Amino acid sequence: MKDVYLLAIESSCDETSMAIVKNGRTIESFTVLTQMDTHANFGGVVPEIASRMHTENITMVFEETLKKSNIKMEDVDAIAVTYAPGLLGSLLVGVEFAKTLCLVYKKPLIAVNHTIGHIYANAIEHTLEFPLLALVVSGGHTDLILMKKDYDFEILGSTLDDAVGECYDKVARVLGLKYPGGPNVDKLAMDGNDTYPLPKPVNDQSYNFSFSGLKSYIINLVHNETQRGNEIRKNDLAKSFQVTVVDELIRKVELALQHNDVKELIIAGGVSANRHLREEIKKVADKYQVHLSIPKIEYCTDNAAMIGAAAYPLYKQKKFADFTLNASSSGSIVQKKDN
Amino acid sequence: MYTLYLDTHSNAINIVLYQDDTLLIKKEIVTEQNQSTTTIPVLIEVLETAKIDITRLKEIIVVNGPGSFTGIRIGVTIAKTLAYTLNIPIKTLTSLEIKAVSIDHDIVRIIEREKNGVFLGTFDAQNQRIGDYTYLKTSEYQKEDMDKEDIQMDYEKIKKYTNSLKPLNPHQVNPLYVKKIEVQK
Repeated sequence: MKDVYLLAIESSCDETSMAIVKNGRTIESFTVLTQMDTHANFGGVVPEIASRMHTENITMVFEETLKKSNIKMEDVDAIAVTYAPGLLGSLLVGVEFAKTLCLVYKKPLIAVNHTIGHIYANAIEHTLEFPLLALVVSGGHTDLILMKKDYDFEILGSTLDDAVGECYDKVARVLGLKYPGGPNVDKLAMDGNDTYPLPKPVNDQSYNFSFSGLKSYIINLVHNETQRGNEIRKNDLAKSFQVTVVDELIRKVELALQHNDVKELIIAGGVSANRHLREEIKKVADKYQVHLSIPKIEYCTDNAAMIGAAAYPLYKQKKFADFTLNASSSGSIVQKKDN
Repeated sequence: MYTLYLDTHSNAINIVLYQDDTLLIKKEIVTEQNQSTTTIPVLIEVLETAKIDITRLKEIIVVNGPGSFTGIRIGVTIAKTLAYTLNIPIKTLTSLEIKAVSIDHDIVRIIEREKNGVFLGTFDAQNQRIGDYTYLKTSEYQKEDMDKEDIQMDYEKIKKYTNSLKPLNPHQVNPLYVKKIEVQK
């Protein structure tokens, strides 16, 4: 069978990324231009600045991506782009860029959901084994998803309030850490001990998560201790927080593994780069004897390689978008199922 | 030689196709939301009406602002991508310039309104800009005698004016925002 080359574009937040992906799994060329340093000055992503920087950089990222590979645009079979969810202004730059390329090079357009992209980061250099259980953990998501085949998503449970990545960022801020918060909390926790007693999140038998109570508890704790003139042991608090969060994620994964017969367990999303989570999820996969797939670190954060991997099943099914494609800040993966 | 003119700085999309200096097709669409769903389809319609393939475009002119942030980003992103991929010259015009060059005038201050304020630009009789473009909130703006606001675009004049402009590197073509955002203040 002829090889399929997809050019993938991702601009949903503060990374302008493009990749050329062969047969949905081999990365031929890959570029990520991050704006992290710029947004760090503001303590978080400023949507308008993110959109501006995507516009400034998009043709250069394209040039760079083509330069790194022997693949020419004539060899590319389709162009895939993240259309939702994310920052609207940022998504729009990628979507308009992708449509223009399709117009010039006369290629089909594939609209990819960003969250599905994170799941398919696991399909890079790896064949997904169904049925599988996916834990999607990012700044916008905390979902447990059962997949019986490609593009078949059954959401077993989700966060009832804050996403886990969001909670990490808020805790980072109260600890006085720089943006991006998650990786910095993870780093701080490396040298800490779990000495702060923290409340357990939703301690029930559902597959749902809740992190806002824990977040508020930590904000209050830091506030009260500071008022009393007591010093916060930041490393220890980061460690205790990390342990509490990961325990809760693992407990729900374990519950899902007990009640669903799956061949593979995968993690996806920015928080899947978290070291403690990676260690603990490996233990649970071993315990239940399921294969564990964790994306390489560079495919955990926002990137276009995963968008190319997620676009491949849509390409095979010829599920193409037309030139009226719009970006959307929200977008459930379940709606995508019947498209 | 075919030239494409693209203007999405307001809630309207204006696409003009020129053959040399002659206006061949002009299409204006007023959009309800952002221009994302309509700009490329309108561009395709214009090319189909003219029965030319996109690869026959030999020059791009884009209005890069000031105006709607999202609007100018859509126009500029499409325009710079076309210029880069087709390897053709690209020129930019501002939303104030296109009004100034459309009329005969002495010193004139051009007004471009947006939701909560106005963009202002002053030009001499030869359409040379005097001073910087500025943005004022509606309440801060005081009308002066030399101000001109409702101007009918003259696309042939606009085209002739662009003939004197130097083409830019597509990578360097960016929106002109003028108005500062909260974190920049």
